[in-house]
Amino acid sequence: MQRRYRTIPDLKTNESARTISITDATLACKLTAMGVLPGTRIEMVRTSPFGKAYYIKVDGIRIALREEEAASILLEV
Amino acid sequence: MMWKEEDRLPKVGMVGNPNAGKSTVFNLLTGLRQHTGNFPGVTVEIKTGRMRFPSGSEATLIDFPGTYSLYPTSSDEKLVAAVMTNPADTFFPDALIYIADVTHLERHLLLLTQLLDLNLPVILALNMSDTASEMGIKVNAAKLSDQLGLPVISISGRKEDNIQRLLSELEKMLKAPEKASEYKPFYKLTDQEKQITDAIRHNLSIENPYRALLILHHHQWLPFLKKQQKEVLDAIAITKDFQSLRTQVDETLDRYDKFMPIVRESIHQPPAFPSTTTDKLDAVLTHRIGGPVIFIAVMLLIFQAIFDWSGYPMDAIENGFGLLSEWVASALGEGWFTELLTDGILAGMSGILVFVPQIALLFLLISILEEVGYMARVVFMFDKTMRRFGMNGRSVISLISGSACAVPAIMSSRTIGNWQERLITIMVTPFVSCSARIPVYLVLIGLAVPAVKVGGIFNAQSLVFGSMYALGVLTAFLAGWAMKKWLRTREPSFLAIELPEYRMPHWKNVWLSVWEKVVAFVAGAGKIILVVSIVLWAMSRFGPGNAISDATLTAHQEAREMRLDSTQTEDFVQQRRLEASFAGQMGKSFEPLIRPLGYDWKIGIALLTSFAAREVFTGTLAVLYNMGSEEGDINDRTENAAKATLRSKMKVETFSDTGQPVYTLATALSLLVFYALAMQCFSTLAVVRRETGSWKWAAMQFVAMSLLAYFGAWAVYRIFS
Repeated sequence: MQRRYRTIPDLKTNESARTISITDATLACKLTAMGVLPGTRIEMVRTSPFGKAYYIKVDGIRIALREEEAASILLEV
Repeated sequence: MMWKEEDRLPKVGMVGNPNAGKSTVFNLLTGLRQHTGNFPGVTVEIKTGRMRFPSGSEATLIDFPGTYSLYPTSSDEKLVAAVMTNPADTFFPDALIYIADVTHLERHLLLLTQLLDLNLPVILALNMSDTASEMGIKVNAAKLSDQLGLPVISISGRKEDNIQRLLSELEKMLKAPEKASEYKPFYKLTDQEKQITDAIRHNLSIENPYRALLILHHHQWLPFLKKQQKEVLDAIAITKDFQSLRTQVDETLDRYDKFMPIVRESIHQPPAFPSTTTDKLDAVLTHRIGGPVIFIAVMLLIFQAIFDWSGYPMDAIENGFGLLSEWVASALGEGWFTELLTDGILAGMSGILVFVPQIALLFLLISILEEVGYMARVVFMFDKTMRRFGMNGRSVISLISGSACAVPAIMSSRTIGNWQERLITIMVTPFVSCSARIPVYLVLIGLAVPAVKVGGIFNAQSLVFGSMYALGVLTAFLAGWAMKKWLRTREPSFLAIELPEYRMPHWKNVWLSVWEKVVAFVAGAGKIILVVSIVLWAMSRFGPGNAISDATLTAHQEAREMRLDSTQTEDFVQQRRLEASFAGQMGKSFEPLIRPLGYDWKIGIALLTSFAAREVFTGTLAVLYNMGSEEGDINDRTENAAKATLRSKMKVETFSDTGQPVYTLATALSLLVFYALAMQCFSTLAVVRRETGSWKWAAMQFVAMSLLAYFGAWAVYRIFS
């Protein structure tokens, strides 16, 4: 069965996708305040040198997220 | 208690998101008239400054930490929410300047709408208007002002544009406060929220509905609520089935839905964000391999700066004080008052000021890195590494600042949201070798390690010096790892950090930051050092009863019997007088405890006095080995004259009972390890107490670090002797 969503770790470098929702409530609170809203486009820029963190772009803003944080943002396929 | 003039001035708060350029505007409005925590009874330090309006009247400007919303995740952000929901707070503002980055206005208005709902008088300052016009962004400030119902002014903190208008608008606002009857909330409460705020108004008489709502959201940690009030709020939350987090997200999204159209109507933005310099720089600076390599190069540069470049001004300061103290001695003649001035006060002041070049240089480099936006990248790159050791990517900033001084470094940990990660950062930061340890290292290394080349390239002394830093960092990481194993909480931890655009450092901010750190050091640690050096002088100058004069008499007799020449006699008498003094007797009673580490009673005194501030060590030894008046060759600029003289005196020192030399390689290495690991700084303990809220952690840190230092030094002594 095909999954109906992806998360940031699934994105390749320079690939982008629209957000659907954020699964973790505490994180949702923090990320929405920073401007990561449902329906915004997230672009993957690069992973961190030692892995487990992602450099993303949201509407011209650059944000660094941990693996768990990145994995809780559901993206459109 | 002293009545402070600040208390009577109107209070203006400065708020905004991180990276909105708040500190630039704050520095612009207050200049050098700023200070930290100058309010009575305040437990958290917060930066305030005095600002002057064109009319000549003044106000206190409060620099609140940058935050995205009143739903906080770090203690920095919690502070903002705690003040804004408590009109009785010392920092509660009469008016607010809201700084927003106009180039990202859609992301910068959330907090503003929350503050509006608290019915606080706010001016919106659209910062970076110069960059905006370069980017082709057109702003209709009048329309924005009309839609949001508050004054809006386009400014540029960097170009200092429109600041006078901001000030006069602010003064108008302070003189004629908005009428409360005109309160029109931006966010429309849901039915459930309305019932809840009604219940809170009824029970706790909190009139503003949004304040009531925020208090319910945060009632578990808000410091101003009484236990009984918390119980009432608990009961309300349970009976109304209040889902705090979900309500927060819904409210946030609702606010965005309301202000996004307003922003789009009043701001014309060019369609796409072109690939910028920041992207190009980050392709290199955060590169998988290049990123860490560049980071290490930057750290080596900082290391070079403290090791090498600051040597020249330091020598100049020491030599200057040497000259001054000679001049004072010759002008006033001999006597206890001259000694107090030269060996107590001047020696103490020199001991403080000699650190200023190092601290200034270090904080100059660190604040440039912060100002250009590089630090956020370091946080991103090393988050994973730091988490292995129980910390957060943000801890890197604290650890790097710790190489200058642990006090501001510990304060910078406030941005870490997770309490356990923050606590570990606070506990391990003092292991990083701060600038106060450098002179101790230099004296001891110069004494014990020969200046030979190792492997043809490296200087053996530099290698040992470098390994002292490595020892500190390594111990910090190990201690972090051990604490992580021991504490284990399940509180959520965040990275989620904005990586700002790279910009040229704003030099005014850099200079002010350096100035602030240097002043804090001179006023804080400096006071302790000065007091210790005066007390120490008195303790080594005076003794119980006639002990000193008796010792002088017998010493002169013995010297005659041993047929010593006049200089030898003087040294011998000095030595005996010191042994008879209060300091000497204290050191002697202390000797059995430290003999296993290879130390004699003089080192014992130095250890005792440097427990308040480790930089006192070299000063103490200088006093103990009677260096006060004959610091010697002032023209010798190639090597620090005082230290060389101190070293030569230390080299010939022997144990009084066995006659063995005191400063062997083993003793020196053991002392080095002791000073690398021991907690010898009252200022740090005080800041740890304040930041953790109790003496418990400060005491634990003191005990753990002292034990580690003792046994570490003991082990090293055993290995090398």
